[in-house]
Amino acid sequence: MDQDTDLQKAIARRSEIIEKLKKELIRRLNLRYSPEDLHEDVSLLGAGLGLDSLDALEIVLCVESCFHVRIPDDNIAVLRSINTLVDFVIKEQDSRNKQP
Amino acid sequence: MRELLLREQWTKAGAVLVERHGVQVVSHVSGLRAEHVAVRDAVGITDFSFMQKYRVPLEKGDDLLDGALAGNVAKIRFGRMLHTFMPDNSGHVVGDCYVANNDEELILLCEGIATDGDIRERLQPAGASDGILEDLTESHVLLGIDGFKAWAVVKELFGADVLGLAYLSVEVFPFEGESVYLFRAGKTSEFGYLLMAPAGVAAKLSDALTGIAARHGGVLCGVDAHNALRLEGRFFNIHAEGASVRDPLVLGLQWMIDFEKDRFHGAEAIKQRRAAGLKQKIVGVAAAPGQECLGVGAKVFHGQGGIGEVVAAAFSPSLNRQIGLAVLPIGLAFAGLRFTVGAAGGSPVETISMPPIFPKSLQVKLDEM
Repeated sequence: MDQDTDLQKAIARRSEIIEKLKKELIRRLNLRYSPEDLHEDVSLLGAGLGLDSLDALEIVLCVESCFHVRIPDDNIAVLRSINTLVDFVIKEQDSRNKQP
Repeated sequence: MRELLLREQWTKAGAVLVERHGVQVVSHVSGLRAEHVAVRDAVGITDFSFMQKYRVPLEKGDDLLDGALAGNVAKIRFGRMLHTFMPDNSGHVVGDCYVANNDEELILLCEGIATDGDIRERLQPAGASDGILEDLTESHVLLGIDGFKAWAVVKELFGADVLGLAYLSVEVFPFEGESVYLFRAGKTSEFGYLLMAPAGVAAKLSDALTGIAARHGGVLCGVDAHNALRLEGRFFNIHAEGASVRDPLVLGLQWMIDFEKDRFHGAEAIKQRRAAGLKQKIVGVAAAPGQECLGVGAKVFHGQGGIGEVVAAAFSPSLNRQIGLAVLPIGLAFAGLRFTVGAAGGSPVETISMPPIFPKSLQVKLDEM
Protein backbone atom coordinates (compact mmCIF):
# COMPACT_ATOMS: atom_id res chain seq x y z
CA MET A 1 0.00 0.00 0.00
CA ASP A 2 1.52 3.39 -0.93
CA GLN A 3 1.87 6.39 1.34
CA ASP A 4 -0.98 8.28 -0.27
CA THR A 5 -3.41 5.42 0.32
CA ASP A 6 -2.33 5.24 3.97
CA LEU A 7 -2.87 8.97 4.30
CA GLN A 8 -6.34 8.79 2.75
CA LYS A 9 -7.28 5.87 5.01
CA ALA A 10 -6.11 7.76 8.10
CA ILE A 11 -8.06 10.86 7.04
CA ALA A 12 -11.21 8.86 6.31
CA ARG A 13 -11.08 7.09 9.66
CA ARG A 14 -10.43 10.25 11.67
CA SER A 15 -12.98 12.24 9.67
CA GLU A 16 -15.70 9.67 10.37
CA ILE A 17 -15.06 9.74 14.12
CA ILE A 18 -14.94 13.54 14.20
CA GLU A 19 -18.20 13.87 12.28
CA LYS A 20 -20.04 11.46 14.53
CA LEU A 21 -18.62 13.00 17.70
CA LYS A 22 -19.41 16.58 16.71
CA LYS A 23 -23.01 15.77 15.79
CA GLU A 24 -23.57 13.97 19.09
CA LEU A 25 -21.88 16.70 21.18
CA ILE A 26 -23.97 19.40 19.50
CA ARG A 27 -27.17 17.42 20.16
CA ARG A 28 -26.41 16.37 23.74
CA LEU A 29 -24.92 19.69 24.90
CA ASN A 30 -27.36 21.81 22.93
CA LEU A 31 -24.50 23.77 21.35
CA ARG A 32 -25.45 26.67 19.07
CA TYR A 33 -22.90 25.74 16.41
CA SER A 34 -22.93 23.71 13.22
CA PRO A 35 -20.33 20.91 12.98
CA GLU A 36 -18.25 23.03 10.58
CA ASP A 37 -18.07 25.80 13.23
CA LEU A 38 -16.49 23.52 15.81
CA HIS A 39 -12.75 23.45 15.30
CA GLU A 40 -11.35 20.14 16.53
CA ASP A 41 -8.75 21.88 18.71
CA VAL A 42 -11.10 24.27 20.49
CA SER A 43 -10.93 23.85 24.25
CA LEU A 44 -14.06 22.12 25.53
CA LEU A 45 -13.90 22.97 29.23
CA GLY A 46 -13.22 26.40 30.76
CA ALA A 47 -11.70 28.45 27.95
CA GLY A 48 -13.10 28.03 24.43
CA LEU A 49 -16.57 26.50 24.54
CA GLY A 50 -16.68 27.13 28.30
CA LEU A 51 -18.41 23.88 29.21
CA ASP A 52 -18.73 22.94 32.90
CA SER A 53 -18.31 19.76 34.96
CA LEU A 54 -21.84 18.54 34.19
CA ASP A 55 -21.10 18.95 30.50
CA ALA A 56 -17.87 17.00 31.04
CA LEU A 57 -19.92 14.07 32.33
CA GLU A 58 -22.16 14.31 29.25
CA ILE A 59 -19.08 14.29 27.01
CA VAL A 60 -17.82 11.12 28.70
CA LEU A 61 -21.20 9.44 28.26
CA CYS A 62 -21.36 10.60 24.65
CA VAL A 63 -17.96 9.10 23.78
CA GLU A 64 -18.71 5.87 25.62
CA SER A 65 -22.08 5.32 23.96
CA CYS A 66 -20.99 6.36 20.46
CA PHE A 67 -17.74 4.44 20.31
CA HIS A 68 -18.10 1.73 22.98
CA VAL A 69 -14.91 2.75 24.75
CA ARG A 70 -14.61 3.64 28.42
CA ILE A 71 -12.90 6.84 29.60
CA PRO A 72 -11.35 6.18 33.05
CA ASP A 73 -12.59 8.56 35.79
CA ASP A 74 -9.14 10.04 36.35
CA ASN A 75 -8.37 10.64 32.68
CA ILE A 76 -9.62 14.21 32.30
CA ALA A 77 -6.72 14.95 29.94
CA VAL A 78 -8.68 13.42 27.05
CA LEU A 79 -11.50 15.92 27.55
CA ARG A 80 -9.40 18.93 26.50
CA SER A 81 -10.59 19.09 22.89
CA ILE A 82 -12.41 17.13 20.21
CA ASN A 83 -9.04 16.10 18.79
CA THR A 84 -7.84 14.70 22.13
CA LEU A 85 -11.10 12.75 22.40
CA VAL A 86 -10.64 11.40 18.89
CA ASP A 87 -7.05 10.37 19.71
CA PHE A 88 -8.37 8.44 22.69
CA VAL A 89 -11.05 6.68 20.64
CA ILE A 90 -8.54 5.68 17.95
CA LYS A 91 -6.06 4.41 20.54
CA GLU A 92 -8.73 2.37 22.31
CA GLN A 93 -10.06 0.91 19.05
CA ASP A 94 -6.53 0.00 17.94
CA SER A 95 -5.73 -1.63 21.23
CA ARG A 96 -8.99 -3.63 21.13
CA ASN A 97 -8.29 -4.77 17.57
CA LYS A 98 -4.85 -6.03 18.63
CA GLN A 99 -6.29 -8.26 21.33
CA PRO A 100 -6.40 -11.95 20.36
CA MET B 1 5.15 55.49 21.33
CA ARG B 2 3.09 54.90 24.49
CA GLU B 3 5.49 53.95 27.26
CA LEU B 4 4.69 51.56 30.08
CA LEU B 5 3.77 53.23 33.37
CA LEU B 6 6.11 50.85 35.19
CA ARG B 7 8.99 51.16 32.70
CA GLU B 8 11.47 52.26 35.40
CA GLN B 9 10.74 49.24 37.59
CA TRP B 10 11.03 46.90 34.61
CA THR B 11 14.28 48.48 33.44
CA LYS B 12 15.76 48.18 36.95
CA ALA B 13 14.79 44.50 36.93
CA GLY B 14 16.79 44.01 33.74
CA ALA B 15 13.86 43.80 31.33
CA VAL B 16 14.35 44.31 27.60
CA LEU B 17 11.71 46.73 26.34
CA VAL B 18 10.64 46.87 22.70
CA GLU B 19 7.97 48.61 20.64
CA ARG B 20 4.95 46.79 19.21
CA HIS B 21 2.16 48.58 17.35
CA GLY B 22 3.17 51.91 18.84
CA VAL B 23 3.24 50.62 22.42
CA GLN B 24 6.13 49.65 24.66
CA VAL B 25 6.17 46.01 25.79
CA VAL B 26 8.48 43.90 27.95
CA SER B 27 10.09 41.44 25.56
CA HIS B 28 11.90 39.33 28.16
CA VAL B 29 13.57 39.60 31.53
CA SER B 30 15.55 36.56 32.66
CA GLY B 31 15.26 34.53 29.46
CA LEU B 32 12.58 32.57 27.64
CA ARG B 33 13.27 29.19 29.18
CA ALA B 34 13.47 30.45 32.80
CA GLU B 35 10.27 32.44 32.37
CA HIS B 36 8.47 29.53 30.75
CA VAL B 37 9.51 27.09 33.47
CA ALA B 38 8.44 29.58 36.16
CA VAL B 39 4.91 29.75 34.75
CA ARG B 40 4.58 25.97 34.35
CA ASP B 41 6.03 25.18 37.80
CA ALA B 42 5.48 28.33 39.88
CA VAL B 43 4.33 31.77 38.73
CA GLY B 44 5.25 34.57 36.34
CA ILE B 45 4.38 38.26 36.60
CA THR B 46 3.90 39.91 33.21
CA ASP B 47 3.07 43.51 32.34
CA PHE B 48 0.04 43.46 30.01
CA SER B 49 -0.41 47.24 30.25
CA PHE B 50 0.23 47.44 26.50
CA MET B 51 -3.37 46.26 26.06
CA GLN B 52 -6.08 48.87 25.49
CA LYS B 53 -8.47 49.24 28.46
CA TYR B 54 -11.89 50.87 28.44
CA ARG B 55 -14.78 51.36 30.85
CA VAL B 56 -18.33 51.85 29.56
CA PRO B 57 -21.60 52.29 31.52
CA LEU B 58 -23.59 49.05 31.27
CA GLU B 59 -26.79 50.71 30.05
CA LYS B 60 -25.09 52.19 27.01
CA GLY B 61 -22.10 49.93 26.75
CA ASP B 62 -23.60 46.70 25.52
CA ASP B 63 -24.95 48.41 22.40
CA LEU B 64 -21.67 50.19 21.70
CA LEU B 65 -19.49 47.14 22.28
CA ASP B 66 -21.87 44.76 20.50
CA GLY B 67 -21.34 46.82 17.35
CA ALA B 68 -17.58 46.48 17.62
CA LEU B 69 -17.13 42.90 18.80
CA ALA B 70 -18.06 39.50 17.34
CA GLY B 71 -19.36 38.02 20.60
CA ASN B 72 -22.60 38.92 22.32
CA VAL B 73 -21.88 41.48 25.02
CA ALA B 74 -25.54 41.73 26.03
CA LYS B 75 -25.45 38.10 27.17
CA ILE B 76 -22.58 38.50 29.67
CA ARG B 77 -23.88 37.75 33.15
CA PHE B 78 -23.00 39.96 36.10
CA GLY B 79 -19.53 39.21 37.39
CA ARG B 80 -18.54 37.22 34.32
CA MET B 81 -16.40 37.83 31.25
CA LEU B 82 -16.65 37.16 27.54
CA HIS B 83 -13.65 36.22 25.39
CA THR B 84 -14.20 37.44 21.85
CA PHE B 85 -12.47 39.45 19.13
CA MET B 86 -12.73 42.79 17.40
CA PRO B 87 -13.04 42.47 13.61
CA ASP B 88 -12.42 45.12 11.00
CA ASN B 89 -15.00 45.92 8.32
CA SER B 90 -13.81 43.03 6.16
CA GLY B 91 -14.32 40.61 9.05
CA HIS B 92 -10.65 40.12 9.87
CA VAL B 93 -9.32 40.03 13.41
CA VAL B 94 -7.90 43.28 14.78
CA GLY B 95 -8.09 42.70 18.53
CA ASP B 96 -8.32 39.78 20.96
CA CYS B 97 -10.74 41.00 23.64
CA TYR B 98 -12.12 40.30 27.07
CA VAL B 99 -15.30 42.08 28.15
CA ALA B 100 -16.20 41.97 31.85
CA ASN B 101 -19.61 42.78 33.28
CA ASN B 102 -18.96 44.43 36.63
CA ASP B 103 -22.13 45.78 38.25
CA GLU B 104 -23.12 48.94 36.34
CA GLU B 105 -20.16 48.94 33.99
CA LEU B 106 -18.46 46.96 31.28
CA ILE B 107 -14.67 46.73 31.12
CA LEU B 108 -13.05 46.02 27.77
CA LEU B 109 -9.48 44.71 27.62
CA CYS B 110 -8.13 44.57 24.08
CA GLU B 111 -4.90 43.05 22.84
CA GLY B 112 -4.67 44.47 19.36
CA ILE B 113 -2.54 44.36 16.26
CA ALA B 114 -3.25 48.03 15.74
CA THR B 115 -2.32 51.27 17.48
CA ASP B 116 -4.23 52.72 20.44
CA GLY B 117 -5.74 55.28 18.05
CA ASP B 118 -6.95 52.64 15.59
CA ILE B 119 -8.65 50.62 18.33
CA ARG B 120 -10.26 53.74 19.83
CA GLU B 121 -11.57 54.73 16.40
CA ARG B 122 -13.23 51.33 15.95
CA LEU B 123 -14.95 51.70 19.32
CA GLN B 124 -16.02 55.27 18.72
CA PRO B 125 -17.35 55.35 15.18
CA ALA B 126 -18.41 58.65 13.66
CA GLY B 127 -21.70 59.80 15.12
CA ALA B 128 -21.38 57.86 18.38
CA SER B 129 -22.03 59.92 21.50
CA ASP B 130 -18.97 61.28 23.24
CA GLY B 131 -18.25 60.60 26.85
CA ILE B 132 -19.62 57.03 26.98
CA LEU B 133 -16.26 55.41 26.53
CA GLU B 134 -13.74 56.02 29.32
CA ASP B 135 -10.24 55.25 28.11
CA LEU B 136 -8.20 53.67 30.92
CA THR B 137 -5.33 52.69 28.66
CA GLU B 138 -2.86 55.26 29.92
CA SER B 139 -4.25 55.74 33.43
CA HIS B 140 -4.19 52.09 34.54
CA VAL B 141 -1.74 49.21 34.54
CA LEU B 142 -2.67 45.63 33.74
CA LEU B 143 -0.50 43.00 35.39
CA GLY B 144 -0.71 39.29 34.62
CA ILE B 145 -0.17 36.61 37.26
CA ASP B 146 0.12 33.27 35.48
CA GLY B 147 1.24 29.89 36.65
CA PHE B 148 0.64 26.79 38.68
CA LYS B 149 1.05 28.89 41.86
CA ALA B 150 -0.72 32.03 40.59
CA TRP B 151 -3.66 31.36 42.91
CA ALA B 152 -1.32 31.41 45.93
CA VAL B 153 0.00 34.87 45.02
CA VAL B 154 -3.47 36.34 44.51
CA LYS B 155 -4.78 34.63 47.65
CA GLU B 156 -1.99 36.18 49.72
CA LEU B 157 -2.85 39.58 48.31
CA PHE B 158 -6.65 39.54 48.53
CA GLY B 159 -7.64 36.59 50.73
CA ALA B 160 -9.04 33.11 50.22
CA ASP B 161 -12.20 34.37 48.45
CA VAL B 162 -10.24 34.52 45.20
CA LEU B 163 -10.09 30.72 45.10
CA GLY B 164 -13.84 30.62 44.40
CA LEU B 165 -13.54 32.76 41.28
CA ALA B 166 -14.53 30.83 38.18
CA TYR B 167 -12.54 31.14 34.96
CA LEU B 168 -13.64 34.30 33.13
CA SER B 169 -15.04 36.19 36.07
CA VAL B 170 -14.28 39.58 37.63
CA GLU B 171 -14.16 40.98 41.16
CA VAL B 172 -13.04 44.32 42.57
CA PHE B 173 -10.74 44.39 45.62
CA PRO B 174 -9.43 47.32 47.65
CA PHE B 175 -5.69 48.00 47.56
CA GLU B 176 -4.09 51.03 49.25
CA GLY B 177 -7.42 52.87 49.16
CA GLU B 178 -8.02 52.25 45.46
CA SER B 179 -10.20 49.78 43.58
CA VAL B 180 -8.29 47.06 41.80
CA TYR B 181 -10.03 44.84 39.26
CA LEU B 182 -9.17 41.17 39.44
CA PHE B 183 -9.94 39.26 36.23
CA ARG B 184 -9.74 35.48 36.38
CA ALA B 185 -8.37 34.94 32.90
CA GLY B 186 -5.07 34.03 31.28
CA LYS B 187 -3.85 32.25 28.16
CA THR B 188 -1.21 29.86 29.39
CA SER B 189 -3.51 26.98 30.48
CA GLU B 190 -2.16 27.37 34.03
CA PHE B 191 -4.01 29.43 36.64
CA GLY B 192 -4.19 32.99 35.44
CA TYR B 193 -5.28 36.41 36.68
CA LEU B 194 -5.12 39.95 35.36
CA LEU B 195 -5.00 42.86 37.80
CA MET B 196 -6.02 46.32 36.62
CA ALA B 197 -5.01 49.16 38.91
CA PRO B 198 -4.84 52.96 38.65
CA ALA B 199 -1.42 54.51 38.09
CA GLY B 200 -1.27 55.89 41.66
CA VAL B 201 -0.94 52.44 43.21
CA ALA B 202 0.67 50.64 40.27
CA ALA B 203 4.22 50.62 41.63
CA LYS B 204 3.11 49.43 45.09
CA LEU B 205 0.96 46.70 43.57
CA SER B 206 3.76 45.59 41.29
CA ASP B 207 6.20 45.48 44.24
CA ALA B 208 3.72 43.51 46.34
CA LEU B 209 3.09 41.00 43.54
CA THR B 210 6.77 40.62 42.76
CA GLY B 211 7.61 40.03 46.43
CA ILE B 212 4.90 37.44 46.97
CA ALA B 213 5.66 35.72 43.66
CA ALA B 214 9.36 35.47 44.54
CA ARG B 215 8.46 33.59 47.74
CA HIS B 216 6.58 31.08 45.57
CA GLY B 217 9.49 30.63 43.16
CA GLY B 218 8.10 33.13 40.66
CA VAL B 219 9.90 35.45 38.26
CA LEU B 220 9.18 38.49 36.12
CA CYS B 221 8.19 37.60 32.55
CA GLY B 222 8.12 39.26 29.19
CA VAL B 223 5.61 38.74 26.43
CA ASP B 224 7.96 36.55 24.37
CA ALA B 225 7.63 33.67 26.83
CA HIS B 226 3.87 33.81 26.32
CA ASN B 227 4.25 32.80 22.66
CA ALA B 228 5.25 29.25 23.61
CA LEU B 229 2.92 29.20 26.63
CA ARG B 230 -0.09 30.12 24.49
CA LEU B 231 0.86 27.69 21.76
CA GLU B 232 1.27 24.81 24.22
CA GLY B 233 -2.16 25.60 25.67
CA ARG B 234 -3.61 26.26 22.19
CA PHE B 235 -4.77 29.70 23.17
CA PHE B 236 -5.32 32.12 20.31
CA ASN B 237 -2.31 34.41 19.90
CA ILE B 238 -3.17 37.52 17.95
CA HIS B 239 0.52 38.44 17.66
CA ALA B 240 1.39 35.09 16.05
CA GLU B 241 -1.18 33.17 13.97
CA GLY B 242 -3.69 36.01 14.41
CA ALA B 243 -1.42 38.53 12.71
CA SER B 244 -0.50 36.25 9.82
CA VAL B 245 -3.90 34.66 9.08
CA ARG B 246 -6.47 37.19 10.38
CA ASP B 247 -9.52 35.32 9.04
CA PRO B 248 -11.38 34.18 12.20
CA LEU B 249 -12.93 31.19 10.39
CA VAL B 250 -9.60 29.83 9.17
CA LEU B 251 -8.23 30.49 12.68
CA GLY B 252 -11.00 28.37 14.22
CA LEU B 253 -12.43 31.26 16.24
CA GLN B 254 -16.07 30.52 15.44
CA TRP B 255 -16.65 29.91 19.17
CA MET B 256 -15.95 33.61 19.77
CA ILE B 257 -18.69 34.69 17.32
CA ASP B 258 -22.42 35.01 17.93
CA PHE B 259 -23.71 34.27 14.42
CA GLU B 260 -27.26 35.14 15.52
CA LYS B 261 -26.33 38.68 16.50
CA ASP B 262 -27.90 41.33 14.27
CA ARG B 263 -24.87 43.39 13.47
CA PHE B 264 -21.22 44.02 14.20
CA HIS B 265 -18.35 45.37 12.12
CA GLY B 266 -17.43 42.82 9.50
CA ALA B 267 -20.40 40.54 10.23
CA GLU B 268 -21.56 40.39 6.62
CA ALA B 269 -18.11 39.48 5.32
CA ILE B 270 -17.71 36.75 7.94
CA LYS B 271 -21.16 35.32 7.23
CA GLN B 272 -20.50 35.30 3.47
CA ARG B 273 -17.23 33.43 3.91
CA ARG B 274 -18.94 31.00 6.28
CA ALA B 275 -21.74 30.37 3.77
CA ALA B 276 -19.20 29.77 0.98
CA GLY B 277 -17.52 27.09 3.08
CA LEU B 278 -14.03 26.89 4.47
CA LYS B 279 -11.23 26.04 2.04
CA GLN B 280 -8.40 26.12 4.59
CA LYS B 281 -8.02 25.41 8.26
CA ILE B 282 -5.44 25.86 10.98
CA VAL B 283 -3.90 22.74 12.50
CA GLY B 284 -1.22 21.98 15.08
CA VAL B 285 2.18 20.77 13.83
CA ALA B 286 5.28 19.43 15.52
CA ALA B 287 8.83 18.96 14.31
CA ALA B 288 10.78 15.85 15.13
CA PRO B 289 12.78 16.23 18.37
CA GLY B 290 16.07 17.98 17.66
CA GLN B 291 14.85 19.44 14.36
CA GLU B 292 14.51 23.20 14.04
CA CYS B 293 12.53 23.35 10.83
CA LEU B 294 9.39 25.22 11.86
CA GLY B 295 9.42 28.93 11.13
CA VAL B 296 6.65 31.34 10.25
CA GLY B 297 6.21 31.35 6.48
CA ALA B 298 7.82 27.92 5.95
CA LYS B 299 5.95 25.93 3.28
CA VAL B 300 4.41 22.56 4.09
CA PHE B 301 4.66 19.83 1.41
CA HIS B 302 2.77 16.65 0.70
CA GLY B 303 4.95 14.65 -1.67
CA GLN B 304 6.18 17.09 -4.30
CA GLY B 305 3.36 19.58 -3.87
CA GLY B 306 3.16 22.57 -1.57
CA ILE B 307 -0.02 22.40 0.46
CA GLY B 308 0.22 25.08 3.12
CA GLU B 309 2.26 27.29 5.35
CA VAL B 310 3.43 27.51 8.96
CA VAL B 311 1.78 30.54 10.60
CA ALA B 312 3.07 30.23 14.18
CA ALA B 313 6.02 28.41 15.68
CA ALA B 314 7.88 28.21 18.97
CA PHE B 315 10.16 25.87 20.82
CA SER B 316 8.14 24.08 23.48
CA PRO B 317 10.23 23.57 26.61
CA SER B 318 7.48 21.27 27.94
CA LEU B 319 7.71 18.93 24.94
CA ASN B 320 11.37 19.63 24.15
CA ARG B 321 10.60 20.08 20.48
CA GLN B 322 9.35 22.73 18.11
CA ILE B 323 5.59 23.05 17.75
CA GLY B 324 3.51 25.36 15.62
CA LEU B 325 0.36 25.97 13.67
CA ALA B 326 -0.02 25.59 9.91
CA VAL B 327 -2.81 26.51 7.53
CA LEU B 328 -3.65 23.52 5.32
CA PRO B 329 -6.38 22.67 2.79
CA ILE B 330 -9.51 21.55 4.63
CA GLY B 331 -9.17 17.99 3.29
CA LEU B 332 -5.71 17.59 4.80
CA ALA B 333 -6.17 19.55 8.05
CA PHE B 334 -6.32 16.54 10.35
CA ALA B 335 -4.14 15.53 13.28
CA GLY B 336 -1.94 12.47 12.94
CA LEU B 337 -0.61 13.02 9.40
CA ARG B 338 2.99 13.28 8.19
CA PHE B 339 4.23 15.90 5.75
CA THR B 340 7.50 17.71 5.11
CA VAL B 341 8.39 21.33 5.66
CA GLY B 342 10.70 23.76 3.88
CA ALA B 343 10.92 21.77 0.65
CA ALA B 344 9.55 18.64 -1.00
CA GLY B 345 11.35 15.85 0.81
CA GLY B 346 12.46 18.33 3.50
CA SER B 347 12.34 17.89 7.27
CA PRO B 348 9.46 15.73 8.50
CA VAL B 349 6.60 17.41 10.31
CA GLU B 350 3.52 15.81 11.82
CA THR B 351 0.11 17.32 12.42
CA ILE B 352 -0.88 17.01 16.07
CA SER B 353 -3.90 17.32 18.33
CA MET B 354 -3.95 20.47 20.36
CA PRO B 355 -3.37 21.27 23.12
CA PRO B 356 -0.36 18.96 23.24
CA ILE B 357 0.30 19.37 26.99
CA PHE B 358 -1.71 18.63 30.12
CA PRO B 359 -0.91 21.50 32.49
CA LYS B 360 -0.28 21.05 36.21
CA SER B 361 -3.10 23.47 37.03
CA LEU B 362 -5.68 21.06 35.62
CA GLN B 363 -4.37 18.29 37.83
CA VAL B 364 -4.64 20.10 41.18
CA LYS B 365 -7.79 19.78 43.29
CA LEU B 366 -9.32 22.69 45.21
CA ASP B 367 -8.74 21.02 48.59
CA GLU B 368 -5.04 20.76 47.73
CA MET B 369 -4.74 24.53 47.29
